[in-house]
Amino acid sequence: MITLGTQGKNTFLADVNKKSGANVLECYQCGKCVGTCPVSQYMDFPPREIMQMIKLGLRNESYMANSHWFCLTCSACSGRCPREIDIPAVMEAVRHLAIEENYINDSTKVKEIRKFHEIFLAMIKRYGRNYELRMMAEFNIRTRNLFKDMHLAPKALLKGKIPLGVKPLKSAKAIKRMYELAEKLEKNK
Amino acid sequence: MARVGVFVCFCGANIADYVDVPQVVEEVKRIKEVKFATEYKYMCSDPGQGMIRDAIVQNKLTSIVVAACSPRMHEKTFRKALSDAGMNPYLLEVANIREHSSWVHQKDKKAATEKAMDLCRMAVAKSIANEQLHEISVPVTKRALVIGGGIAGIQAALDIADARIPVVLVERSPSIGGKMAQLDETFPTLDCAQCILTPKMVDVASHPYIELIPYSEVIELQGFVGNYKVRIKKKASYVNFKTCTGCGACWQKCPVKVPNEYNMGIDKRKAIYTPFPQAVPNKPVIDAEHCTMLTKGKCGICAKVCDKGSIDYTMQDEIIEREIGAVVVATGYDMWDPKPYEEYGVGRFKDIITSLEFERMVSANGPTNGVPIRPSDGKVPKNVVFIKCVGSRDEAKGIEYCSKICCMYTTKHTILLHHKVHDSHAYVFYMDIRAAGKGYEEFVKKAQVDTGTTYLRGRVSKIYKKGDKLMVRGEDAQLGQVVEVEADMVVLATAVSAPKDNPDLARLLGISYDKYGYLSEAHPKLRPVETAKAGIFLAGCTQAPKDIPETVSQASACAAKVCGLFAGDTMKKDPMVSTINNEYCSGCQNCVKVCPYGAIVTDDVPIGHGSKELRTVAKINEGVCQGCGSCVAICRSMAINLAGFTDPQIINEIVSI
Repeated sequence: MITLGTQGKNTFLADVNKKSGANVLECYQCGKCVGTCPVSQYMDFPPREIMQMIKLGLRNESYMANSHWFCLTCSACSGRCPREIDIPAVMEAVRHLAIEENYINDSTKVKEIRKFHEIFLAMIKRYGRNYELRMMAEFNIRTRNLFKDMHLAPKALLKGKIPLGVKPLKSAKAIKRMYELAEKLEKNK
Repeated sequence: MARVGVFVCFCGANIADYVDVPQVVEEVKRIKEVKFATEYKYMCSDPGQGMIRDAIVQNKLTSIVVAACSPRMHEKTFRKALSDAGMNPYLLEVANIREHSSWVHQKDKKAATEKAMDLCRMAVAKSIANEQLHEISVPVTKRALVIGGGIAGIQAALDIADARIPVVLVERSPSIGGKMAQLDETFPTLDCAQCILTPKMVDVASHPYIELIPYSEVIELQGFVGNYKVRIKKKASYVNFKTCTGCGACWQKCPVKVPNEYNMGIDKRKAIYTPFPQAVPNKPVIDAEHCTMLTKGKCGICAKVCDKGSIDYTMQDEIIEREIGAVVVATGYDMWDPKPYEEYGVGRFKDIITSLEFERMVSANGPTNGVPIRPSDGKVPKNVVFIKCVGSRDEAKGIEYCSKICCMYTTKHTILLHHKVHDSHAYVFYMDIRAAGKGYEEFVKKAQVDTGTTYLRGRVSKIYKKGDKLMVRGEDAQLGQVVEVEADMVVLATAVSAPKDNPDLARLLGISYDKYGYLSEAHPKLRPVETAKAGIFLAGCTQAPKDIPETVSQASACAAKVCGLFAGDTMKKDPMVSTINNEYCSGCQNCVKVCPYGAIVTDDVPIGHGSKELRTVAKINEGVCQGCGSCVAICRSMAINLAGFTDPQIINEIVSI
């Protein structure tokens, strides 16, 4: 059950609006985003419900939802939103706030997604680009699921979708420096 | 020998797709009286009418049959075509082969065609017995009566009076203004209701063509369109308005305190009072029910303090009679009493108020000087829950219909709350947000986005008390979860209901009302301001719930109708009225009883030619008769004939099939 009117001002709404640059109050709950979203069926709360939860100031519930982890930020929703709300930005804002405030959704699915993100970012840091074969291998090892999607490998290899080697970008060094600067900024925050 | 012309219309594809029109034409040509028959794609168009005009002249026709759509649609059009060709327009018969055949028998063309032929044969047979008829002229009294002095009545009265037609405006309460005078600001522009209404009220009082009769009620209406006679009961005010200056000494000194109706009983008024400071007329009346001088003969203070000697405890109710030609009924609405909502604790919890009470609280001239307060402890509420559809759309406890204005006034209330109490938060429980109107959806967005009102979709299931707070429980259907809001105050958007006296008024005026008590219009789409009784019109919420812009539009529409009615010195009326053959009339007066319009009276005529002895017969008032035929059907001696539907005509029709 949701209890309203006891906490005073809705700080969660203010936080999300500030971080995302969107105004969640604009949402009038039409649900067009839910119908548009390619992954809404895998979310425990589809985008419309997340918007309503933000409006009602349900901070914990929003953080613990898996929706912002599933969001692909593909922007199909915001492209069709009649009130032109930047929903992916809202999702991202919730994700960031959840991490900042140490709200951990420890379901297997979310854990995997987070690992995927980590590996992907490490890959970019290292090569300046993605190295698909290593990405796959590392992900399968770290999620302890060695043969995941293995049946797709031969076909993908033959079509050249997964190159065996990787050629680091010329700007790889610059990208690495970007990472270091960002990490430094993060530390000083 | 009759010479009949028959014109069969295709109505584009409406008739021609389902009725074999050429076959119908061939068939009617076989009737010996039919001297001319033809078909055309659109008979109502100018070339179509031209065909009729030409055929009348060339073939010396004596009556015309048009087989086309309903006579409700184009009878007048074709009658005019006959007149233009120099023929009496009432020699026209319309065979309705669209609504009565092609539209209802779309699956069977053969049968539809046969039915169309039958209808044509009947119309031809009837038309042979048609007689020349002439429009009836009825004199008109060019003065209008407006019942009710709310915004609807005020607007209608002003518009009619501006056309230099005298108006009698009757208002039941001591001041005009109605419900609108109780409002603070109005949606969707947030104009101050007083600021836009009071100038109109003053205009009414000072208009040379308006006679304002406040504190009065209509008690009797007699006569017929253009010639009504109304009796008005003017309640005793015990104050001589001619000498009273409205100084206010009397109501300042009056010791009797009574709940103030204008402020929904939130504060008290005196037994001698004006309803509100901007009242028109701004003269006090004595509330006879509560004045101790009138009930017990003790007090008399007001008379002592009045310099002008305007107080007269012996004043009696007065009956005023006026002759009028048309009536505009604008009796407004009542707020629905939410008492049946026991699960909300209505009556038990003091901090549950109705929307009109909230309206008075936030009103600048209200009992709390524009600040909403909790009735229980006088504190300013922070969390306020607004519940919509209280009584509306509730078949179990309230009424089936949507009250139309609650969505918008609740939206307005949330904005006003935020204006008056900056750190407050408004929650609205709703089933739908019905914001159809110019600027309305934008207004709702303003509340949701700019004011930050929280809208929760769901009907509140119950309210219970927790400490000094009210816990409002319902579902948030957007999340599919139960939600409870801790509220300082709850405002119920109570339904609009018909004035409880409407049925009595309807009987008095001879018009009809619906199952809710709203007065019925003649046609829901095409005659929305007329009643079934000629010369009586409806404006505002007395017909159905509506907001101020709609009410004002309807009132102006009434004014246009009244002005149209009074445009000439006499009124033209269809001659399809009953006539009585005195020789057959037995004087049983059954017709008097069945006539729904009160058009039949009795008359005394000599028993025989030159005889001095009299006997009673029925007499039709042509001005009132609407040609319904009830009297014809009830008459046992067949003394009554309805022009245009005489016995020979009807018998011809029956014989022809």
